Amino acid sequence: MKTDLKNKLSTFILCGFFLFVSLWCIFKGPTDYSESERRVIASFPEINSQSIFSTSFMSDFETYTLDQFPLRENFRQLKAGVSFGIFKNSDNNGVFYKNGYAAKIEKEVNPSMLEHASERFNYLCETYLDESNKVFLSIIPDKSVFMKEQGLVSYDFSLLSESIREMNSNMKYIDIFPLLSLEDYYKTDTHWKQTELLDVAEKLAKEMSVAFEDTFEKKTLDVDFYGVYKGQLALNLPAETIEYFENETLSSCKVTSYDKGYPREASVYDFEKAKGKDAYEFFLSGSDALLVVENPKAETEKELVVFRDSFASSLIPLLLPSYKTITLVDIRYIQSSLLGNFVEFENKDILFLYSSLILNSSLSLK
Amino acid sequence: MLFSSIPFLYYFLPAVILAYFVFPAKLKNAVLLFSSLFFYGWGEPKYLFLIIVSITTNYIAGLLVEKTKTKKLKRLFLVLSLIISLGLLGYFKYADFFISSFNSVTGLQLPLLKIALPIGISFYTFQTISYTIDVYRGDTKAQKNLISFASYVSMFPQLIAGPIVRYSDIAIQLEERSLSFNKFAEGARRFIFGLSKKILIANSLGELCDIFKSSNEKAVLFYWLYAVAFSLHIYFDFSGYSDMAIGLGKIFGFDFLENFNYPYISKSITEFWRRWHMSLGGWFRDYVYIPLGGNRVSKLRNFFNILVVWMLTGLWHGAAWNFVLWGLLFAFLLIIEKTFLLNFLKNSKVFSRIYTLVIVVISFVIFNATDVGEAFEYIGAMFGAGKIPMVSSQLFYYFKSYFVTLVIALFGSTPLLKNGIRKLKENEKTAKLLNIIEIPVLIALLIVITAYLVDGSFNPFLYFRF
Repeated sequence: MKTDLKNKLSTFILCGFFLFVSLWCIFKGPTDYSESERRVIASFPEINSQSIFSTSFMSDFETYTLDQFPLRENFRQLKAGVSFGIFKNSDNNGVFYKNGYAAKIEKEVNPSMLEHASERFNYLCETYLDESNKVFLSIIPDKSVFMKEQGLVSYDFSLLSESIREMNSNMKYIDIFPLLSLEDYYKTDTHWKQTELLDVAEKLAKEMSVAFEDTFEKKTLDVDFYGVYKGQLALNLPAETIEYFENETLSSCKVTSYDKGYPREASVYDFEKAKGKDAYEFFLSGSDALLVVENPKAETEKELVVFRDSFASSLIPLLLPSYKTITLVDIRYIQSSLLGNFVEFENKDILFLYSSLILNSSLSLK
Repeated sequence: MLFSSIPFLYYFLPAVILAYFVFPAKLKNAVLLFSSLFFYGWGEPKYLFLIIVSITTNYIAGLLVEKTKTKKLKRLFLVLSLIISLGLLGYFKYADFFISSFNSVTGLQLPLLKIALPIGISFYTFQTISYTIDVYRGDTKAQKNLISFASYVSMFPQLIAGPIVRYSDIAIQLEERSLSFNKFAEGARRFIFGLSKKILIANSLGELCDIFKSSNEKAVLFYWLYAVAFSLHIYFDFSGYSDMAIGLGKIFGFDFLENFNYPYISKSITEFWRRWHMSLGGWFRDYVYIPLGGNRVSKLRNFFNILVVWMLTGLWHGAAWNFVLWGLLFAFLLIIEKTFLLNFLKNSKVFSRIYTLVIVVISFVIFNATDVGEAFEYIGAMFGAGKIPMVSSQLFYYFKSYFVTLVIALFGSTPLLKNGIRKLKENEKTAKLLNIIEIPVLIALLIVITAYLVDGSFNPFLYFRF
């Protein structure tokens, strides 16, 4: 091809490309929601003199053009492909990916965050608990801790757990780290798998001096599960399956949610939520500020209050047969100072069960 | 508005190109002016008045300087325009620097003005100053047409991050310029390559620098990795922007001078500054160094001139003492090279390059420091001060993760690719092949760049703060 011809062709093709994409951007219908990122997509910003002179219109317009870009998901996948395939980056958007497993990069222990979490825990102990309570603490290691061998840079879990233990020496620490491995976690999600947690539940029960019975039957949820990291990675990863345990006790449990400020019936397994944007919410309906689970078949009078994050949603059903009631409190969604209005603590076992991810980034604990 | 943004690429640019080629020749400058003011106002509408004041005062000053017969009055108008231009630059860019320095020296607590730096003020102020001085010297004629002059000062391709285009270099093109498929294609190619340098290399290395800065697990070699990464980052960021500006200029029929010429292959600091940000170096040479006497003075006075020029060069880059230190470091090295080192370096092929690279890498640590204290802390750590380990797990992880990007950046900062392509073009067959693959390569790059823009939010241009 001669240079003159190439330059003419180049001019026409490049102009055509810009014009085509430009018109596509302008005339493409709006999208409301990004499934992969689980967030609402920006809409066209309001335009007025104030938004223009404060430049908020300009920055919002840029967000709008990015969010509404045609074939956005495909472009994000292409970027991830180039990033991993050509530039050989180890992570994309802060998420490491190797051998099918994805994990958020959590490089360092953050002492100020651990202090904040411990300060919240101490507040709860001093405000609501007395000698009638037995208080336990357990930390769920983040998946990244088990991916060091795959090349992921990760914080020192023992340092994190030691720090938390030291700052909460009034609690009995239950070490579940030796019972866990990478295979106990979903490949594309932060969370662990319920059906791999029998040994963890048994150890917790033993340390809290309650009986533990494994009468569970494993079942599989008929839903394609894509974890939260799939969207962040923007890679076309295969779906996973969610397995769960069922038995007569669990079927008979009565679950009451106080999330909206009034009692509302819920369930141990929420099959509606399993079809939603985050199938992991199948376990105890996902994030709930305050949840009370009553076990009518209980052969004990013992009661448990769990201060927890989302990891507990899949684990707690395994402890239900061991207690008469279990109250789950998520202080990310309810002020600690308000708890006295809703929860009785006297004579109850107390378990602080948190993932290291939350502890190391604990500002959300209120 | 950033060149490397979706609103620029797929909204602003197609609309401007369409309007530019639809309107007749006599209205093209007006199209450029209107689109440039829109481009500038998009980022900072409240500072539009500033650029309009700068345009108006220098336009009038140019006319008055030219029309006035007496030397005294000419000088008066020149000085007045310089006072206004430098006054605006001084107030908006340096007021807080001077107040905080004054406070430090006197122990007073004068309140800072906290003025946001108007985008591109250093670039367009230097352009307007060079115009008025050139008219005063009789090197160029004053522009009678306000729209032509305003479109020169505000021309969006080089408005906010250079290169510093002198009026005399494009005075003829402002009146009459050739538009052709060859020029358009060349410009588009240059723009896309510049955009690729910015988004695929510079942004990625910028992420690495940010990761290092936020890390609490630093190690000696991690400091070096950061220093090398930042040196490559700033080169690809700034030269990428210059490529985009030159490319856009060509699309609109202008020929801007080159701003970079592979500075990292230099064999001395003297050579480095002939290859790095050439438009700024040339500006200081012609409007500060030579008027001060240049090198046609005593040795001591010449050294003084060099110190003044490089202190100002440092200050131009930023209103902080680390930039002054950065400038003075180069002044010191240039004086040493001028005195005795240059002859030795000229005869060395390997040592001279290592010497230049090490100095440049260290200088950019000073450049990117938040203050002088951090600059010394980082440089000390690079040489083992502070009892930090030699390596760390984060160093290994990020070195591995960014290895390919670093290798591409190192390769891309040499003329090897350019020379290779030139050789291939000498052969008829391979030249034809290159012509065939060029368009698919450009489209592929555009698609990948778009993918990076759509996915990412990390996208700041370094030279916006100048």
